[in-house]
Amino acid sequence: MLVAILAMLATGKYLDRTRHHGPSKMVGDVRGITAPNFDLATLDGRRVKLSDYRGKAVLLNFWATWCSPCKVEMPWFVDLQKKYGTDGLVILGVAMDDSEAPKIAQFASEMGVNYPVLLGTDKVSEAYGNVEVLPTSFYIDRDGKIVGKGTGLLGRSEIEESVRKALASPVAGMNNAQTSTADSKDAKAPAIAQ
Amino acid sequence: MSRAGSSLLLVACLLIGLGFSQEPSTRVPTVTMAPVGKVQVRAGGTANVELDFRIGSEFHINSNKPKSDLLIPTALKLNATEPVSVAGLKYPAGQDTSFPFAPNEKLSVYSGDFTITAVVKASAKAASGNYPVAGELRFQACDRSACYPPRSIPVKFEVAVVSR
Repeated sequence: MLVAILAMLATGKYLDRTRHHGPSKMVGDVRGITAPNFDLATLDGRRVKLSDYRGKAVLLNFWATWCSPCKVEMPWFVDLQKKYGTDGLVILGVAMDDSEAPKIAQFASEMGVNYPVLLGTDKVSEAYGNVEVLPTSFYIDRDGKIVGKGTGLLGRSEIEESVRKALASPVAGMNNAQTSTADSKDAKAPAIAQ
Repeated sequence: MSRAGSSLLLVACLLIGLGFSQEPSTRVPTVTMAPVGKVQVRAGGTANVELDFRIGSEFHINSNKPKSDLLIPTALKLNATEPVSVAGLKYPAGQDTSFPFAPNEKLSVYSGDFTITAVVKASAKAASGNYPVAGELRFQACDRSACYPPRSIPVKFEVAVVSR
C-alpha cells in the first residue's frame, strides 16, 4: 500500500510538470539545477550569454515595465550591485515587455539601473520554467547552479540573503577570482538560440 | 480492507498527489464574462449592451485609464457585422487603490465585478435578422505582490435587428 501511495504522489508530480510545461526540470524546487544558458540582446544591441559570467554569482531577475512590484525591487538591486559587485555579483535584468528597447531603456535609466538589462524572449521564459509571475528572480552560484528562486515581491533582506548564498558557493575547478570572458569557451551547455 | 475501500484509498492518493503538485506560482489570473441576454435594436436605432465581467479573487486589473503610460489598460475591441456597428464603449471608472508594493501610490484598477457598456447601432436600412458581434477583452492582472503577462478573453454576443 505504501508503494501505491508513493506511486500516486509521484504521478501527481509528473502530471503537474507535463500539464503546464512539458517534461521540464525547471519546475518545483530548482535548487541544484544548472541554470539554462541563454544568448540575449542587451538594450544597446550587444549579445550576452549566461555562460559569460561563469565564476560570478548571478542574480537573474525577470521583470517588466508594466509590473509595479518589479519597480520596488530595482533600487534594491542597484544597491546590491554596488555593494557586492566587487565580490563577484552580477545582476542581469530580463525585461519581458513587448515594448521596444528604447522605451525599456528610458525606464531603466529613470530607475538608475546600473546593471545590464536584456530583452527577454518566450524561449528564455520557457527555459526557466515558463516565467509567468513577475518579478521572478533566480540566484545562480559561481558554478552556474541555481541556489535559490524568488517569485513575487520579496523583502530586501530575503533577496540579500540569497545573493550572499550565491556568492558564498565556490566555483568547481576554478579559482574564485578567475572569471570567464565573453567568448564563453567554458560554457558546458549551449546557449538557447533566441 | 475491502476492494471498494482499496479503490477509494487509491483515488484519494491520486487526488492528494495532484494537490501536492500544485504550485502557488502557477495560478493564473482569470477574467470571465457573463452570458449576454437578448439584444434587440430597431433599424436606425441604438442599444446599450452591458457586458459583465468578473475578475478572479485576489487579483486586480488596470482600469481603462491607468495612471501611468507604462501600465497596460484594460481594453475591449469589438467587430460587428454590417449593418450593425459599435458606436461606442463606456468603461467604468477605476477604483483608486493602494497596494502593499507601493503604499504611497494609488493605482486605478478594477477588481471583483465590472461592466463595460457597448453602444450598438443598426443602420436605417438594416434588414431584420441576427448579427454577431465579436472581439476580445485585453487585460493585465496583478495581485498583492506580483504581476502577470497581458491576456485576452473572447467576447461575443448577438444583436437582433427588427424592422421599424
